[in-house]
Amino acid sequence: MLMMTAMSTDTPHRCPAEPAAFVADYAAWMWGCGATCIRTQKNVSRMAAALGLDARLNIMPMHVQLAVSQPDGTERVYERPMHCHGINFDLNSRLSRLSWAVADGRMSPEGARHEFDRCIHLPHTKAVRVLLLASLANASFCRLFGGDVASMLIVFVATLAGFRLKQVMLADGRDMRLAVLLAAFFSAAIGAAGHIFGIGATPEIALGTSVLYLIPGVPYINAASDMIDRHYLCAFSRLMDAFVITACITVGLCGGIFLLGLEV
Amino acid sequence: MGYDFFINVFADGAFAAVAAIGFASISNTPSRAYAACGITAAAGHAVRYVLTQASMNIIPASTVAALVVGLLGVFFARIRKFPAEVCFFPALLPMIPGMYAYRAVEGLFYCMGNASEAVFNHYMYMFASNGLTCVFIVLGMVLGANVPVFLLKKISFQATR
Repeated sequence: MLMMTAMSTDTPHRCPAEPAAFVADYAAWMWGCGATCIRTQKNVSRMAAALGLDARLNIMPMHVQLAVSQPDGTERVYERPMHCHGINFDLNSRLSRLSWAVADGRMSPEGARHEFDRCIHLPHTKAVRVLLLASLANASFCRLFGGDVASMLIVFVATLAGFRLKQVMLADGRDMRLAVLLAAFFSAAIGAAGHIFGIGATPEIALGTSVLYLIPGVPYINAASDMIDRHYLCAFSRLMDAFVITACITVGLCGGIFLLGLEV
Repeated sequence: MGYDFFINVFADGAFAAVAAIGFASISNTPSRAYAACGITAAAGHAVRYVLTQASMNIIPASTVAALVVGLLGVFFARIRKFPAEVCFFPALLPMIPGMYAYRAVEGLFYCMGNASEAVFNHYMYMFASNGLTCVFIVLGMVLGANVPVFLLKKISFQATR
């Protein structure tokens, strides 16, 4: 558990509740969109300093706590649950820009709150576009592992079906782990077409790579990044999340292989 | 090493670029960062391909490739005004050892289902071998990619200014 101090030396010492609540909200969204702990801390630190807050941020896996010093010597703690709605680099980028706008005095606290509310409500990339790009990506991945054109086509279709299922289940509010498990099962079942129908020369690569689009790459990288910065609790939490998702993929893949009676 | 080798390096980079852009879209990466992600991933993957073809182990090869990815990530972050992670995280994704990760978990599951010592040892070996390779590749990649971020801290953390 690391603490940080965001004390400004050239700004008056004050404790307005609204800026402090805003900074706490900001930290929860920043971390939740997939920012590393060091970036969350740096952004929060510069904003708190610009807003004249003497604040310390405590990042835990499920929530953040912002302790703000009061003029009477006591501290007020603002606790916020993490807003984990998936990795969102667009939000990460916008919130980072917002922190500099506040730090450089280009935006008032009210303007910053308004911009923050606008950013967190921006729509994501269109689902169909993501579906097609992800399917192309996984087909390319198959090629990188040595798959032939037939295997690439199988992987493209397997990803299209599995990823669409995941999108529908998540939009319906289903559990992420269940969605990943079933998507892996579907993709593996379709990815086994090469084995069953004798399509292409590399059916084992098609089957193996058909589920790779589900691998939680960013959480693995974030976990290692947080570990380097000695944020061990967050690192472990992100690593375990990634491990559980990987286990779900394996169960789905093995389920598909067993159900189809394949000898792989 | 001739014409075919360069074609293979180019193809490896091109497919890595498509993979990086596709995986970037899953993480809601801003579309203005797609080109940077693609170029960075292509350079990183091509470097790893060349190094592994030169018989270097995949762990140091991934670390060196990630160093290239990190450098390009910081460079593009400065030019296009987004955090370096927005570019180099998606670019690292095609190098994530996903196959090793789930083969390790698969080995663990099969361990539990087999009473025979020989079979158990085989799957335990599968778990340990794939798991350790996966862990060290990811650690090497993250270390490699973060070196430029920390060496060029002023650029990395002020890119969005």
